[in-house]
Amino acid sequence: MDSLLSGQLLVATLVVGALYALVALGLNLIYGTMRLLNIAHGDLVMLGAYVSYWGFSLASVSPLVSMFVAMALSALLGMAIYVVLVRRALHSTALVARIEANSLLIFFGVSVILQNTAALLFTANPRAYAYLDQVIRIGDAAISANRLVVLVVALVVCVAAILYLRLSMTGLAIRALIQERDAARLAGIEPERIHLLSFALGFAMAALAGSLISMIQQVSPFMGFPFTIAAFVIIILGGLGNLMGSLIGGFLLAAIETYGVALTSASFRSILIYGVFIAVLVWRPQGLFGGARVAR
Amino acid sequence: MNLLELDAIEKRFGGVVAVQALSFAVATGEIVGIMGVNGAGKTTVFSLVAGNQRPSAGAIHFDGRRIDGLRPDAINRRGIARTFQIVRPFSGMSVVENVAIGAMYGAGRERSPSAATARARAILDEVGLADRAGDRAGALTLAGRKRLEIARALATAPRLLMLDEVLAGLTPVEVDEALAMLLALKRRHGLTLLVIEHVMRALMRLCERIIVLHHGEKIAEGAPDAVAADRRVIDAYLGEPAP
Amino acid sequence: MTRRRLAAATAFLAVVALAALAPFLLGPYLVGVALDLLMWIALAESWILLSGMTGYISLGHAVFFGTGGYVMVLAWGVLPFWLVVPLGGLVAGLLALAIGYPCLRVRGPYFVILTFGVAEFAKFVVVAIEAGLGKAGRLMFGAPSLDELYFVMLALAAAAFVIADCVRRSRFGAGLRAIREDEDAAETIGVPTTRFKILAYTLSAIIPGMVGTVMVLRSTYFEPLQVFDPLISFTIVTMAIIGGSDGAPGPLMGAVFLVSLSELLWANLPEVYMILLGALLVGFVLGAPDGIHGWIRARLARRGA
Repeated sequence: MDSLLSGQLLVATLVVGALYALVALGLNLIYGTMRLLNIAHGDLVMLGAYVSYWGFSLASVSPLVSMFVAMALSALLGMAIYVVLVRRALHSTALVARIEANSLLIFFGVSVILQNTAALLFTANPRAYAYLDQVIRIGDAAISANRLVVLVVALVVCVAAILYLRLSMTGLAIRALIQERDAARLAGIEPERIHLLSFALGFAMAALAGSLISMIQQVSPFMGFPFTIAAFVIIILGGLGNLMGSLIGGFLLAAIETYGVALTSASFRSILIYGVFIAVLVWRPQGLFGGARVAR
Repeated sequence: MNLLELDAIEKRFGGVVAVQALSFAVATGEIVGIMGVNGAGKTTVFSLVAGNQRPSAGAIHFDGRRIDGLRPDAINRRGIARTFQIVRPFSGMSVVENVAIGAMYGAGRERSPSAATARARAILDEVGLADRAGDRAGALTLAGRKRLEIARALATAPRLLMLDEVLAGLTPVEVDEALAMLLALKRRHGLTLLVIEHVMRALMRLCERIIVLHHGEKIAEGAPDAVAADRRVIDAYLGEPAP
Repeated sequence: MTRRRLAAATAFLAVVALAALAPFLLGPYLVGVALDLLMWIALAESWILLSGMTGYISLGHAVFFGTGGYVMVLAWGVLPFWLVVPLGGLVAGLLALAIGYPCLRVRGPYFVILTFGVAEFAKFVVVAIEAGLGKAGRLMFGAPSLDELYFVMLALAAAAFVIADCVRRSRFGAGLRAIREDEDAAETIGVPTTRFKILAYTLSAIIPGMVGTVMVLRSTYFEPLQVFDPLISFTIVTMAIIGGSDGAPGPLMGAVFLVSLSELLWANLPEVYMILLGALLVGFVLGAPDGIHGWIRARLARRGA
């Protein structure tokens, strides 16, 4: 039982929590401003991971550099998807009435396309590379340097994103749109610009997470899926549209996962995550911190 | 015994009080109007009676039995139907199908789709939409959609029909036609009417009794002429306190 | 109207009779393909009972297929085949009831991702159970022949089609479609929305449960990750969207189209097939949301009316 209190588990929770928070923030940004659930979100993590993997394997580029490339590519993809697919759905009277269901299906299709394109191009074999894997000791815990980097970068970006949204004019506009769509329009905020920005930012954050993850985990075409689910659990736990809630929720889920697995076994990881998912959706769809109202 | 009774009804949305300490009754066969400036709580009252919202406090009785807290479909089956201020037709379905569904459910509960369709056609005749029966509901004009909303509510065989601003946007001639139609419907179907209206002229002519709401409270109740002359009502509309 | 229905019914029976001849005329490979086609028809026709009619999209319908399969696995050798098939359907129906009761009270996108989460949850629970029982996959000995399974599946597909058609034309179906159009307005005119959603969901689970009991005998090897595969859910959804989810002919068309496509591509280019599937789903949602059947119906209406 004293292993439960070890620094090791705490470190694992922090690293995973920071990554989860990063992924969840991106998803929540898109949901908050547009009420669209991007099921393909985890696959952008996968894309970011592959960019860094190939960058390192083919050109020895550090993931800390290739992550910027990953973010840029992903942001472009996000804007392209918005312009080509989502905007069409939003502007069609036939589709916009059931926009949530329709957009889910669209993102579902995009997810399948992304996963299988990766499988076609890169094969389904998991890949990995070694970078910054020296071990550092902090107290009674040992942490590899790459995990430490992941934790720091993810945390910094999350905090920076939240600060940006709190303090900048654009951030303010985004938050206004999240809280009160129609009133925001009246205040002169153009939803179109914000939507584009949300997609770009959300997709970029996911890809960044992917680049970071590629340092510490195997990369494969279907790796993104658990991150999508985790992100959904987190944004529901923290409250849809509630960005700070996503940060806290990320660490909370990571804790449940890490300590839950320590108490049971590794094979229970999925059961834990999906179990939490179902429990939260059924009993407290408005999340632990409230926020957006659930339509009943 | 009154058909509908509201007893000290209150509705709060978070910190906002939409309706408070509201009590009134509607007797069988009456035509009662509800009026008030925008935001006075009129539509909220309809939502509370029809079950779309639950009161925060107080009780609502229909035909002697308590109905607050029941789901809207259960209340509709007991005999209360409402229209929505912003009409909500089933746009993808035909006009006649919209009304037929009302006939299949509600208090009438027609089991066979063909019998329901026949009853729907009869009602469409009464509201003047018979020639548009096969059209898509979404293709109707606003006036047409308002009449469809009334027809669909009527198809549920209610005893109490609640109409929410059905005359809005009509020309004076159309208003007269609509009033005549409503009175004919009331007579033919033995309805009790509860009507929210902004078109004052129509409200005064149609209703035997009018309730005036302001900031969610009842500030006047009585015959149309009495209410029109009531100081508090005038102040509410003009927005200035009496000296 | 009745004459048209009579003609349609006759055509339907003729098609079923023709399909019944397959095992006598075709070799085992093609019978296998036909069996797969019938399976997808049965699954997709059942799926639309809730998801097509009310718009509450179930992204995890594989859970009912897998549940039926697991019932057969557990009961194999213990109970006779003809008893286990309906038992699988019953268990799947009860599962739907258990899921639907809490889950159909939440709206829109919540329900969709919830069905997905439930399917995955069930999958990992079964994996854990099997691991706990010490079984890494099971072999099913003494399974019925391919032809026998074929006839059972034909019956299931035909039943699913008929049920979908009957529901579409019924008072119940009208209520479901009203829910799809505007749930609050439907409730206000007396449609018991929650009760109907749960009923439709339960109905939509029964035949997939039975299909699962049959298919697990076809491969004679049971592996939880296969029968609860999200790919099954995805394929059902795509078939119904492409074919059309409002009425019985749609899923049939979607199944025929996709099975044909898969026959062309799956053996050599499975990823290409999947990419095409994803693209078709996106394309149809954006461009032809009523599917092939809806498109045909619209063309006929413009010509006829």
